[in-house]
Amino acid sequence: MPYRYILLESLRQLRNVRALAFTFVIPLVMLLIFGSLYGSSGQQEQRSGLPWLIVTTVQMASYGGMLAALSQAFAITTERSIGWNRQLRITPLSGVGYLVSKVAAALLVALCTIIVLCAVSIVVLGARMDALHWFTAILGIWIGVIPFALIAVALGQYARPSFAQPLFTVVFLGMAILGGLWIPLEVMPTRVISIAQTVPSYWLNKLGQIGANGAGNALLPIVILAAWTVALAALIAWRYRRDAARA
Amino acid sequence: MARDGAPVEAWAMTAPAIQLTALSKNFGSVHAVVDVDLQIHRGEVVALLGPNGAGKSTTIDLALGLSHPTTGTAHLFGDDPRAAIVDGRVGAMLQGGALLPDLTVAQTVALVASAHRAPLPVDEALERAGIRDLAARRVSKLSGGQLQRARFAVAVVSDPELLILDEPTAAMDVESRRDFWLSMRQFTAEGRTVVFATHYLDEADFFADRIVILGAGRVVADGTPGEVKSVVSGRTIRFEVDSGETDAAAAVIPHLPGIRSLDRRADRFTLVTDDSDRTLRALLDAVPTARDIEITAHTMDDAFLALTTKAPLPRPTKAAHLTKAV
Repeated sequence: MPYRYILLESLRQLRNVRALAFTFVIPLVMLLIFGSLYGSSGQQEQRSGLPWLIVTTVQMASYGGMLAALSQAFAITTERSIGWNRQLRITPLSGVGYLVSKVAAALLVALCTIIVLCAVSIVVLGARMDALHWFTAILGIWIGVIPFALIAVALGQYARPSFAQPLFTVVFLGMAILGGLWIPLEVMPTRVISIAQTVPSYWLNKLGQIGANGAGNALLPIVILAAWTVALAALIAWRYRRDAARA
Repeated sequence: MARDGAPVEAWAMTAPAIQLTALSKNFGSVHAVVDVDLQIHRGEVVALLGPNGAGKSTTIDLALGLSHPTTGTAHLFGDDPRAAIVDGRVGAMLQGGALLPDLTVAQTVALVASAHRAPLPVDEALERAGIRDLAARRVSKLSGGQLQRARFAVAVVSDPELLILDEPTAAMDVESRRDFWLSMRQFTAEGRTVVFATHYLDEADFFADRIVILGAGRVVADGTPGEVKSVVSGRTIRFEVDSGETDAAAAVIPHLPGIRSLDRRADRFTLVTDDSDRTLRALLDAVPTARDIEITAHTMDDAFLALTTKAPLPRPTKAAHLTKAV
């Protein structure tokens, strides 16, 4: 694996402030609004016993992490359309190495977003939890973001630049709403709740909540997210082989 | 491929930089490259000429393994093209290969360098491209010529033995083109191999040891610049004759010495001759009223047109072909 390239490429995406501002501002504003709305009175969620502020923080960190990972799709479509990939093909970097670098970049950008959102919640909104639970919550969300890094790569492979934006919007809106990242699913009709349990964003949030709680069965979310990961990797590999065969 | 029992490794050490064997590429019903055999030895500087659509870029893609041939094989240094690229032995400036607009020149070169196994220091790659002063400039702020040089820096960062350049001086002004070829001279002085596709025939004439001309996907000429130009050797003589004497002149002119072809438009004659001195002396004797006489030597452009206007051609030494081109 070309580790040096992957490292430089991930840092490059992290430095790309303009794209980050876009993915970061929306969850930040939502965190500040919902956090002060639900958090000030110190209510607790009934089932998990977690303070609402923590529940909201995990939701928004999940949302921010997901958005950051998904936005790597634009980097891929842009690079494909301007011909940067063609330039990279005259280097030892393989197609697989390129895709791995994009997944790594998506995960790094997502991790930074998750950490910053949690930090804002602590500093600005006064969210309190012991360090271990912050750590497991962040870890849980980060693991949950893995399928979204792969969705970003798949979007980048499949979408033409003109089509990337609408496709991205549909995917992230659907994932955010169905996964209960914006509005608690409890207010939704039961049919929506059963659909929600098939999308990875639901389990991403769930894994974060389990991490924050320090208790609960993490096996089911991990199995379902792993299944998504394998399915997406297969889709990406299939497309990659088809593109290579067409050259 | 091993010759007369020579060990395979020894052959690989001396294998040609580029070996294309019976190479063809079809895109649907379009025959982009047709049965190309081409061997380019180490240390050669080869210009690839041809009109648009002649198959230059496709041939380059095939040689680099970026595209799979329909039939035939491509080898670089006796090996699979990809293996040569992975070894960092090949650098290329390709058509449609662009740099990222939001990076600086130095960041771009560093990013590509990080993908190579034993790259040059970034500074040295910039130095070789003559753009050290542009290191901190964003790619989006570069002029056309500067961008091409940044792409050259990217192409040489692996310290390659073989450089493949597809129209490297496109979008350059006259001065940048000259500077570019000067830095190329430095590169080839160290015995490296360069293959470049170009539209500028004077560049090929001035810089290449060998010119390969493609027409309709085939190799239509392959030789030194001198040899290629000699395909249309000789000079052109143009003159006019007074209207009253045109027919008399037309009767005599075909019998002048050295003439290879003749073209007449009203009062204006165009002759192609192998010996312009002798032809001209005889002409002045036979047609004393000839006036506005012009003699021009054939240029690379003439050779190019002669070779590519009606490809595939047999070696076009017959006057019949030349009349078309002159």
